[in-house]
Amino acid sequence: METIRQIPILISKEFLLEWRSKYALGGILLYVMSTVFIVYNGFIRVAPPTWNVLFWIMSLFTSVNAVTKSFSRENGNRQLYYYTLADPTAVIFSKITYNSLLLILLNLLTYLVFGTVTGNPVKDKGLFFLAIILGSLGMAVILTFISAIANKAKNSATLMAILGFPLMIPVLVSLIKITANALGVITDTSVNEDIWILLAIDAILWALAYILFPFLWRD
Amino acid sequence: MKHWWKILGAVLVLYALIAGLLIPLKPGILEVAPERTQWGNTISLQIKAYNSHFQEAKELKAWLKLDSTHFVPTSHIKVLSNTRLTADFRLPIHQMEEQSKELTLILDNEIDGYSLLPGAIQVTLSDSTISRGFLWSNDLGRIHEPQGLTFPYRNILYETIRNLFYHVPLWFAMLILLFISMIYSGLYLKSMNTKYDHAALALTQIGILYGILGLITGAIWARWTWGDWWSFDVKQNMSAIAMLIYLAYFVLRSSFEDDEVKARVSSVYNIFAFTTLIPLLFVIPRLYDSLHPGNGGNPGLGGEDLDNTMRMVFYPAIIGFTLLGAWLANLAYRYLRLEEKHLEE
Repeated sequence: METIRQIPILISKEFLLEWRSKYALGGILLYVMSTVFIVYNGFIRVAPPTWNVLFWIMSLFTSVNAVTKSFSRENGNRQLYYYTLADPTAVIFSKITYNSLLLILLNLLTYLVFGTVTGNPVKDKGLFFLAIILGSLGMAVILTFISAIANKAKNSATLMAILGFPLMIPVLVSLIKITANALGVITDTSVNEDIWILLAIDAILWALAYILFPFLWRD
Repeated sequence: MKHWWKILGAVLVLYALIAGLLIPLKPGILEVAPERTQWGNTISLQIKAYNSHFQEAKELKAWLKLDSTHFVPTSHIKVLSNTRLTADFRLPIHQMEEQSKELTLILDNEIDGYSLLPGAIQVTLSDSTISRGFLWSNDLGRIHEPQGLTFPYRNILYETIRNLFYHVPLWFAMLILLFISMIYSGLYLKSMNTKYDHAALALTQIGILYGILGLITGAIWARWTWGDWWSFDVKQNMSAIAMLIYLAYFVLRSSFEDDEVKARVSSVYNIFAFTTLIPLLFVIPRLYDSLHPGNGGNPGLGGEDLDNTMRMVFYPAIIGFTLLGAWLANLAYRYLRLEEKHLEE
């Protein structure tokens, strides 16, 4: 019960932190914009299959940038302070939830800007948004967890890329397949199955992060 | 005899090497010329076979088969060498409407047994309608089973079918080793005893060695069957990524100074890594078209591709490579323990 009570407080703390350091959020927004414009200048007219892959590549880099700081921005003493106050499962749960919301927001923004600038080839909007939500959940779990691991080591920025990118591939590969359906690039009768698989991967990763984080946390 | 499993592992791997490389392939048909003809013609097929003994065989027979009740027996066979012969066939006028049909070539003799080549010759509609009175036969008569121990003969695969005893068991053994490694990581987190972390590290090292060998044997196999060392097959790509995930494990280990934190964090990562390995190797390849058997609509192993002779080598090879891997991991583990002891002194 105590854990559940802590979660909303910790989530609102994350929002507050983000709001107080506006430069971080602003930096990510500028990052999204500039990537979209670089891609636009390179391609001008983007064919749907390329659009699909480019979207997720942009999403990947934006997400890594957004989540990397999630543990490193509160260092040393402050983490020790949380440790005395909060339950580790509440900490990881609130971080993942906050990062999921952040990534959904950033991915929608990328979609909005990219879609406006290069033309919007998405035919099945519902499926595409579902993919964005499931993808953000999966990426948030993996990246939050990896940033918790990398935070324990030196050179955490390099480690983040080395550990994070290969682990993201199962999620990204199934996402690209689902959104290819939403763009009408391929028509697949088993797209429901793909969604269930992605959901299953997300659920397993959530559960693992939840079980394993208490071991990472204590020092 | 507490080392029985090491001896068993070595013996089984040795057995898989010797039996897997020395048992010959079942005789089969390599190619046939010409590739097409017309109904009603008399043709002379030049047949090139593999591992066959035409000169020693006494009861040579050949048929062209349309379906299970329509056969054309050969009218004359001329043996050129042990692997080459020419067989003459008199094709009847075909009564059916279809433009062209593919016929299966069947060869049979008492030494090699029977061999088939589906789609050996394509027969198109005749220009003339004059029947020369050549007729279908509706029975094969008696055919021979192959003699002795042989591996199946498969077009495209040919001799590379033997790689099944090395490529596949290496991946099986890798998964088993990495799975045990994950369990040791779990044990470490439960007890915080360094020896479990060392066991997990040793098992991962050998598991990744096996994984790399699996990639190499796979690339060799791909070169001779799919045409390229790297075919960008989804399972090839995902296996390479799986290797990256585990190489990151070693990078992670090297970035800690404190041994206790190193063991704890890398145990956590190891469990996370093995869990993502399962969708990478078993779920994602099913979503995409893969050239691997059992993926993307291709039939899995089984049936005639994995006959009893193959099973006799394949299953021992899996056990052998796993035990050998466990032995190697055991050595790596003891090395790590000694190193630790040495540092303490």
